[in-house]
Amino acid sequence: MSHVFASLPATGGSQGLIGLWTRRAVLVLFAAIIVAALLNAFGQRSTTTTDAAPAATLSLEAPSRVRGGLFFQSLVDVVPRRAVERPRLVLADGWLEGMQVNSIEPAPSSESSRDGTTVLTWNALEAGRAMRVWFQFEVNPTNHGRRDYTLEFDDGDAPLARVKRTITVLP
Amino acid sequence: MDLVLRTVVVFLLILVVTRAVGRRELSSMEPFDLILLVVIGDLVQQGVTQSDYSVTGTVTVISTIAVLTVGTAYLSFRFRRLRPLLEGDPVVLIAGGDLVSRNVNRQRLTIEEIEAEARLQSIASLSDVDYAVLETNGRISFLQRSG
Repeated sequence: MSHVFASLPATGGSQGLIGLWTRRAVLVLFAAIIVAALLNAFGQRSTTTTDAAPAATLSLEAPSRVRGGLFFQSLVDVVPRRAVERPRLVLADGWLEGMQVNSIEPAPSSESSRDGTTVLTWNALEAGRAMRVWFQFEVNPTNHGRRDYTLEFDDGDAPLARVKRTITVLP
Repeated sequence: MDLVLRTVVVFLLILVVTRAVGRRELSSMEPFDLILLVVIGDLVQQGVTQSDYSVTGTVTVISTIAVLTVGTAYLSFRFRRLRPLLEGDPVVLIAGGDLVSRNVNRQRLTIEEIEAEARLQSIASLSDVDYAVLETNGRISFLQRSG
């Protein structure tokens, strides 16, 4: 009966050793993936970017990396230092390309397009009176890659503040 | 980050659930056991990945589960005191040819189920069994009477 096992090396041999170290290497790779995920390498922790311009302070809180299918929020805060007749947020193409817009609150009074960007207009703002806008999105799973997520605050067509960001949709 | 944390929480929850429901469900596939496993699988998917359709999310979750599985197995191997907690202890069902009723009842096993397990191992009757032990993997091992 023992001859059935005769072809198997009793101590594992070099093949067993290679297999053992291969398994350990794969586990180290898995552990590295976990560490990277905990460090926000795969999204989607939000970060805040602020532009304190002379005319207004514009602040954008949003994740810079997102994954397909997930919901996320972009929060915009505007504090004008002077009265703004026609407050507008100008969204770069990355804001809407391959994104499902669940809601924008408060809703803009009008929407338009300017040179490939999307322009949202609200009612007039008094100096020092803050405006906060919530954007709720869902990522289209087929929308991979890095895109321009720049946001600009305008009075009519005059830029007052600008936050330059990108958003990366991971496959 | 949230994906890793959700996976860890669900992994620990499943560990607690499988230890709490008892080991007979681990090896047998009675209708209720099947319902338990299917429902757990479905709920776990919703809780861990939620609406995530990405390959990145899948890789993260599988990596986390793999490391947790190897980690708990290593802890169980390295620290003897953790073994009863993580894997449980073997339970003697028949000792010296006598049925240990208290252990059998605690594991919610019936004589018919033990007899069925014995037949699967080509043992015709429990009267031929000297010792029967419910192992930590949910299987029953039998030691037949000599002679």
